[in-house]
Amino acid sequence: MNATLPRFFWSEYRKRRKKTSLITFALFWGTLSILLLMSFGRGLTTQFKTAFSGLGETLIMVYGGQTSVEFEGLPKGRRISLYPEDVDYLKERIPEIRRIAPEETLYLQVSANGKEINRAVHGTTEQFAMMRTQVPQMGGRFLDADDCREGRKVAFIGWQVAKDLFGDGDAVGREIVVNRIPFRVIGVLKQKLQNSMYNGPDADQVYIPFHAYMQIDNDRRLDQIHIQPKDKDDSTLIEDRVRTLLGRKYRFDATDRYALSFWNTIENNQEGEAIFRGIEIFLGLVGALTLLIGAVGVTNLMYATAKERTKEIGIKLAIGARRSVIVQQFLLETVFIFAKGTFWGFVTAFNVVNLVRLIPIDYSTFGVQAYLLRPVFSLDIFVIYMAVVSVLVFLSGIFPALRASRSNPIESLRYE
Amino acid sequence: MIELKGITKVYRTGSQALEALRGITLSVERGEFISIMGPSGSGKSTLMNIIGCLDTPTSGDYVLDSDNVAGLTFDQLAAVRNRKIGFVFQNFNLLPYATAWENVELPMLFDGKSHRRRRERVTELLNAVGLYDWRDHRPSELSGGQQQRIALARALANDPLILLADEPTGNLDSKSGEEIMAILVALWKAGRTIVMVTHNDHIAASSQRIVRLFDGALANGNQ
Repeated sequence: MNATLPRFFWSEYRKRRKKTSLITFALFWGTLSILLLMSFGRGLTTQFKTAFSGLGETLIMVYGGQTSVEFEGLPKGRRISLYPEDVDYLKERIPEIRRIAPEETLYLQVSANGKEINRAVHGTTEQFAMMRTQVPQMGGRFLDADDCREGRKVAFIGWQVAKDLFGDGDAVGREIVVNRIPFRVIGVLKQKLQNSMYNGPDADQVYIPFHAYMQIDNDRRLDQIHIQPKDKDDSTLIEDRVRTLLGRKYRFDATDRYALSFWNTIENNQEGEAIFRGIEIFLGLVGALTLLIGAVGVTNLMYATAKERTKEIGIKLAIGARRSVIVQQFLLETVFIFAKGTFWGFVTAFNVVNLVRLIPIDYSTFGVQAYLLRPVFSLDIFVIYMAVVSVLVFLSGIFPALRASRSNPIESLRYE
Repeated sequence: MIELKGITKVYRTGSQALEALRGITLSVERGEFISIMGPSGSGKSTLMNIIGCLDTPTSGDYVLDSDNVAGLTFDQLAAVRNRKIGFVFQNFNLLPYATAWENVELPMLFDGKSHRRRRERVTELLNAVGLYDWRDHRPSELSGGQQQRIALARALANDPLILLADEPTGNLDSKSGEEIMAILVALWKAGRTIVMVTHNDHIAASSQRIVRLFDGALANGNQ
């Protein structure tokens, strides 16, 4: 079959002034719907992931607890606490750990610039920043290894704290007084989207080196230890090893679920992802069903067309067209009809997505807008869409085409 | 060239059987021009459809140019129609949305002929029927006689073995009708094999031999 037949089909198609505008619009609308629904659905998932990682990626947090069973003669109800030396203890014995940092917190008075506020002040180490996505604004930095080793009086503050103390002015380099001890601000947290937190959002926190913190608070019991695994899949393994090691050290049953608590964000994340994946699929289905309606319209049109052109088909068969040529022509016409509507639907969806993405998001509120204003038009959405459309084109074209090709030429020639 | 032996065609509708053709035996030699005549209902269209491979007989043999055609599939028959047979119909049967050029070209498109060959052949044919200047016109813009001449050109596109004409002048005025007959006679004299169906004795007189059908059988015996 040479390539001139398709061109001939195209010229036949164009000459027939079909009132296809309604069908074209239905296909345009269906395409637009499915692409927008999929893009916004994907945007929800992506924003959720971003927001969740606002707390920190692949994080396990360990807290002290209370024993609930007797162990080696010791009664239940014993308080189990974590201590600063546990950090190195665990790091040396669990090679699957990538980063580990202690954290202890107190609400203290923080003043500067004539203002006094109460804020949560945390003592921790430089490893903390990387685990908990503490990205500093330009011109500043988080605590580093030297600050922590020497216990310098430096502080990293959230953007809301900076605003409360210094207004719109630059906070880096300024002095703040924490519980009557002066600290120098070395960095301010960059604004981020965060939906998961403890003690309030990171915007309101103050971080100082652990050894400096110990000079203010001499309670050596840690509030928590943060652990980041090298591999996400090791999170449960690490949990078990921590229980075993600290169980031996502090003498509690490693299987005692209450002796230590764990907040495993990796598992939470997977659950959240599953929910949003479900929403994505649902939206995709709704879009596909909309497109299906357009396809039904095309099928209808093609059946009616085939009937109208009975005589013409008869002539072609009489002259020696094989049945497959007739099928080919009808399928190609179906493609032509689909192409116009879906092309414009595609272009419009692409432009809408890109325009919406330009709308700025206010991160200080936890409004719905942060999740809705970042649709994602990714390559795999396009691929899925093309697959769905191809199937629909084929289905709505093949049946009328086969029907047309099976006509009896003699009867068709008599059709008026 | 054409050998029909004991051709029958029976149409069954429910429990009723209608015998359109009853045992036709007929041969047509290469270069002959024959007319098939008979009253309505005699089966001439049915016979024409079978000769033209548009229909298959219920029983009997049909050998066309030493190929047994009776048992072929639809697609195989399509190939025979495309290459060996040229049709001219009473109501022209041109594609209404195509130009004269495209109509004449159509059989060659289905045969997969190259662009250059198509251009050469269509030009030659359109000139032969005197309608080259009208090549970009649609059938609706042409007179009956002109349309039938285009149909003739189309029938000759793939240089077929036989030309079948079913009441070629039926929808034409006498002047155009005579023009068409003149072309057919010229083609015959140049060596074409032509089978024509007509009910008009005057038209039939242009042909070489007349075959008469009555009630599905040959009135003047097997030929």
